Amino acid sequence: MRLACVYVPQLALQAALRRSPEARESPAALLVIQGKQKPRVVELCGQARTAGVRPGMTAAQAQAACPNLRLFTATAADAEAGAAALCDVGYAFAPRVERDGERIYFASDDLGRLYPEGDRAIAQAVQAHAARLGFGARVAIASSKGSARVAARAHELAVVPAERHGARAFLAPLPVSHFTDDAELVAAFRRWGTRTAGAVATLPPSAVALRLGPAGAAVARLSRAEDDEAFLPQLPPDALEEAVELDYPVYEIEPLAFVLRGLCDRALERLAGRSLACAGLTLRLSLEPRGLDVREVPLAAPTREAKTLLELVRLDLARRPPEAPVVGVHLIALPARVRASQLDILRPAGPAPNRLGATLARLAALVGPQNVGTPAAVDSWRPEAITAAAYPLTESATASRAAEPRPTDELRLSLRHRRPPEEIEVLMDRDGPAALRGAETTFRREDPHRAAKPRPIHAMRVLVAAGPYRLSGEWWQGPEDPINDPTAPGSWAREYWDVHASDGAVYRLHRDGRTGRFYLDGYYD
Amino acid sequence: MPVRALDLVSDPEIAREISAHLVSLERLGEVRGRRPTGIAALDGLLGGGWPRAALSEISGRRSSGRTAVVRAALGVAIAAGEATALVDVGGTLDARAAPAVSDPKIGPALLWIRCRAGEALKAVDLVVAAGGFGTVALDLCDARLQIPDAAWVRLRHAARAQGTTVLVSSAARRLGAFAAAAIDLGGAPAFATDGPPLFTGLDVRAARVRNVNFAAPEGVPTNDNQPPCVSLVFTSRS
Repeated sequence: MRLACVYVPQLALQAALRRSPEARESPAALLVIQGKQKPRVVELCGQARTAGVRPGMTAAQAQAACPNLRLFTATAADAEAGAAALCDVGYAFAPRVERDGERIYFASDDLGRLYPEGDRAIAQAVQAHAARLGFGARVAIASSKGSARVAARAHELAVVPAERHGARAFLAPLPVSHFTDDAELVAAFRRWGTRTAGAVATLPPSAVALRLGPAGAAVARLSRAEDDEAFLPQLPPDALEEAVELDYPVYEIEPLAFVLRGLCDRALERLAGRSLACAGLTLRLSLEPRGLDVREVPLAAPTREAKTLLELVRLDLARRPPEAPVVGVHLIALPARVRASQLDILRPAGPAPNRLGATLARLAALVGPQNVGTPAAVDSWRPEAITAAAYPLTESATASRAAEPRPTDELRLSLRHRRPPEEIEVLMDRDGPAALRGAETTFRREDPHRAAKPRPIHAMRVLVAAGPYRLSGEWWQGPEDPINDPTAPGSWAREYWDVHASDGAVYRLHRDGRTGRFYLDGYYD
Repeated sequence: MPVRALDLVSDPEIAREISAHLVSLERLGEVRGRRPTGIAALDGLLGGGWPRAALSEISGRRSSGRTAVVRAALGVAIAAGEATALVDVGGTLDARAAPAVSDPKIGPALLWIRCRAGEALKAVDLVVAAGGFGTVALDLCDARLQIPDAAWVRLRHAARAQGTTVLVSSAARRLGAFAAAAIDLGGAPAFATDGPPLFTGLDVRAARVRNVNFAAPEGVPTNDNQPPCVSLVFTSRS
C-alpha cells in the first residue's frame, strides 16, 4: 500500500494565517499566552527568523527585532479549524484519513487512475490543493507510514521508492534527527558516531534495542525501511466547522458579515475540495460577557456560492439580531453531494440543478423560504388554502411526460385571492349586499390616463349580487381564526357572495357565520 | 438513397414513441418564434402566440381576465414539459386554478414565488438569469410601482439571452416599447338572470396594442385606426 503524508510545519501559525491571507508575504509570528506570563513567540515564519525573531521572545522584543512583524495570538478556534482543514486536504483525495498532529496520512493507491503520470504528480496535486486551502505543505509518498513521515520532514516533495532496498537507499543520507523528536536519543546515536540513517542501519537491531530501548529499536527499524506502524484512518466528520475568535466585540451586523464572509469562503473552499456543497448552516455566536446565540440557517438547496450563504445569514441576523456584542463566531456547514441529472431527449432542458439550487436559495433569502416553492394543495376545505411545497431540483422539475401543447376554447376564470381575507363593511338590503366600504387600498377606480395614481375610493355600490352560497367545514376542529393563517385548522361557516361592484369588478366576499363580519376574499380575473 | 432515421429503429414501439414527439420543420420554426398562449383566439391575434425570448405584456383592470390569460400560458408551457415560474405579488394564486395543482398528471413544475411589490423585479431577474425556464410570468397584481426603464432593459436582455418568454401582467401598461407583444383586456361580467342572479363568467375583449415583427393572419380584422381585437368568454367555476 502506498501512503501519502502531508506535513504542515508550524500548523498553528499557518492556521492563524488562513484568516489573514494578506499576511503570508510578510514576517509573521504566533504568540501563546501561558498563565499570567506575558505572551511569548512560539512559532514564526522564515522571514521573521531571518530578521532576528526567536521563539520565547515577548511581543515587544519581537517587534523590536522586526518592526513590520505581524503578530497573531493562538486561539482554540484557529487550531480546531486549521486541523479540520488539514484533514480536508486528505479527504479531497481519499475517503479516509489519519491525523497525527501536524501531519495527515491517506492511501494513494487508487489515485493512479486520476494521475497516470505517477506518484510525483499525485504529490504535486496534493500540495497544490493544500495551498488552495491556505497551507504551505510538504508531501511525501512511501510504502510505509514512517518512511513517508521522514521523507516529508526532509523534503518539500518526495517520492520514496516502493521496493525496500530502494527505500533504504533513499533514507540512508538523512540525518537521525529526522527519525525521532527525542533529543536524548539523537544525542546517543551521535555519541556512537551514527549521524545518518545509513549508519544506524548498519547497527545490529537487537543491540540497539538492548541499549536504547523500544524507541531506539524503532529508529533502527525505520532506518532499514522496516517500519511497521499501523495506519489507522478515519471517516470524515458529518459537519464541517470553521471558527474565529474576535479580538474585540462586534456590535453591528456589517462588521460581523465581513467576518462571516471569510468563514463562508474557507468552508466552501474545503467543501469544494471534496466535491460537496453546503446544504445547511448552523451559526454559533459567542456573546459578551457570556452566552451563546445558536441559529439555524436553512437552505432551499445545496449551494457553493458564498454570496448566497452570506445573504441568508445576513438576513437572519437582521431579522433577529444577537442580544449582546459578538466575540466569537463558529460556523458549522452541513455537507451534501450535488446530484448530477440526466437530460431527456424528448423533453426540453430545464434549469441546471446547480444554478437552480443557488437561485432558489437567493429567492428564499429575498422573499423568505416559505414563499418559494411549487403550489400544493392543503388538506382543508377552505377555498383559499394553499401552500408552497419544496420545488423539485432534478427529475420532476419539468413535466413527467411532455405533450404537444394544444390551445383550448374552454376558458376558466380564476379568483385572485386576498390572503388573509380583508375585513370590509357591507350594507345589506333584503336582496343581499347593496354597498361595500373598505380601506383606502381595497377598492380602486382605474383611470388609464392616470395609471400611476389611481383614484382610491372607499365605498362602492353593488350592481348585482349573486348568493349567498353557504359553505362550512372542519366543524370537528376548534374555532377558526380568520385573521391569522388561513390554512390553520379550525371550524368555519361562511356565506359567500359574488358581487358586481360599481368599479366594474366582480368581487367575492363572505360573511362569517359566527361573528357576522364581512370579509373580502378577492376578485374574479 | 436517403434513409429515414426512424427506419433504422428496429423496435416499432420505440419508433412510434419517437415519432409521436417529432415535429415538422415548419412547426419547429413556428415553435422557435412563438410560444402558444393556450387560447386559440389569442394565438390567432398574436400570430402564433407569445414571442419567445422577449417581454410581453398583459394589461387590464380588475376582472378583465388577465389572470386567466397568464394561467393559460403557464398551463400550456407546463404541458409542453417546460419549467415555468410565476412571480406573484401578494400571493393571490387560486389554489383550484393553479396549473400544477389542478392537473396531478402533470406534476409539480410551476415555481411559485410569493413576494411584495418591491421584491418582484429582483425575483423575476433571478429566475430568468438562472436559465432553463421556458415561461416566466410576473404578476404585478394591482401594485403601483415606479419601475425605471433600466430594469426593463435588463430584464429584456436576460430574457433574450436565456430564451425565456416573460409575461408581465399589470393593471395598466408599463413596458411601452420594451414589450415585443402587448394585449389590453377589458371585460364585462355576465350574470344569468332567469332566476336568482348567478355569476357565469366574463365577456372579455382582447385588443392587440403591440406585436413586433407580426403580419396579421387571415381572418383577423385589421384596421389602422383601431387595433385588432378578439372576444373571449371566460366561465366561472362556481
